[in-house]
Amino acid sequence: MLHDALWQENRDIADACLRQPFVRGLGKGSLDSAIFRQYVAQDAFFLHAFARAYALAAARSGDTETLSTFCGLLNGVWKELQLHAAYSRDLNIDTGDVTPNPATTAYTDSLLATAWHCELGVTIAAMTPCMRLYGYLGNELAKNPRAGNPYQEWIATYSSADFGELVLRLETLLDKLARDTSAVRGAYRYAMQCELNFFSAVTEDNL
Amino acid sequence: MRGLEDSVLVQGAGGLWQQATTAKFLDAISDGTLPKEAFNRWLVQDYHFADGLTVFQALAVAKAPRQFRRPLVAGLNALEAELEWFEAQARVRGLDLGAPMNEVCRRYTNFLVRVAYSEPVPVLLATLFGVEASYLAAWSSLEATGPYSEFIERWSNAGFQEYVKSLRALTESNLHAENQRHFNEVLAQERDFWRMT
Repeated sequence: MLHDALWQENRDIADACLRQPFVRGLGKGSLDSAIFRQYVAQDAFFLHAFARAYALAAARSGDTETLSTFCGLLNGVWKELQLHAAYSRDLNIDTGDVTPNPATTAYTDSLLATAWHCELGVTIAAMTPCMRLYGYLGNELAKNPRAGNPYQEWIATYSSADFGELVLRLETLLDKLARDTSAVRGAYRYAMQCELNFFSAVTEDNL
Repeated sequence: MRGLEDSVLVQGAGGLWQQATTAKFLDAISDGTLPKEAFNRWLVQDYHFADGLTVFQALAVAKAPRQFRRPLVAGLNALEAELEWFEAQARVRGLDLGAPMNEVCRRYTNFLVRVAYSEPVPVLLATLFGVEASYLAAWSSLEATGPYSEFIERWSNAGFQEYVKSLRALTESNLHAENQRHFNEVLAQERDFWRMT
């Protein structure tokens, strides 16, 4: 299956994300809360772009089943934004007034340029890494639970069966609509690299 | 280049304008010390950029009302000629135009394509003015001598100056609250483009 080939081809970046100080800090519960605040703000900005990309993909759907799947995925990202809204209230962050850092802008510009301009299969390839990677990170971190981890809710969200279902739906669409082309492979890998850069940027900005 | 410094957008950009129009890379072109290999690498990236700008410009033409279209269509034509020129250069210089896009170039072209689709026409005009005005200013500050004189002349000639003037007039007759922010973003991308490795 194409989705699995792409994931295996990019496991190097997925594992680099797992080793990234931000992700390790989430797992241990030792992440500085200032860094988490920065992350929540940047991720909220990103997720708004991600929701728009789903909406653009929905508009390009060639059949009702695909349209319905994108609507469900859009709903999923909207719930994720509500999770951020809850964090944001607790952390006193205004997610409506975020200045994106260069790594976030690079990712959202790439995602939206692709969603507006490229064929649907390439757009799905650019969107899948975010979902698959978060599911992977959530599940890996959930293997070593730490009592009293303040980031347990984050880990629980991305290791949940509900989130896994969303990943599966997107990867099923990838297999259905994307062809094994250099554009698809390039879009997937670039998005993976953007994920790593995203984690690195929120960590570096606070060192 | 004289005549751009009094632009409201240039003035509003502050120090970014200087950063976007001067660089060690340009100094080395001016004094003829830039190694041929470094120039060739930059040419390939500039080709990728021109290809992305062509997408932007085609979308701007499609979105612009009739009365603004003439200079945009002329610019699109010039971009097509520019791409053909790059391809001819590649044959002469033995360049591989299929070489991967540098990360800086990729960010810049993604930004342009995203803006072209999602922003209103006045913002597209300010963005395009930023791209072309800064490029013209960068090359116009160099004396057309030495091994790179052909390129300096090419990107500072009278026809290009007139085109930039027409883009400035269009931008200034189509003000929008988001113009300065996008103009500044273009300058930041230009600054990084001259400095990419």
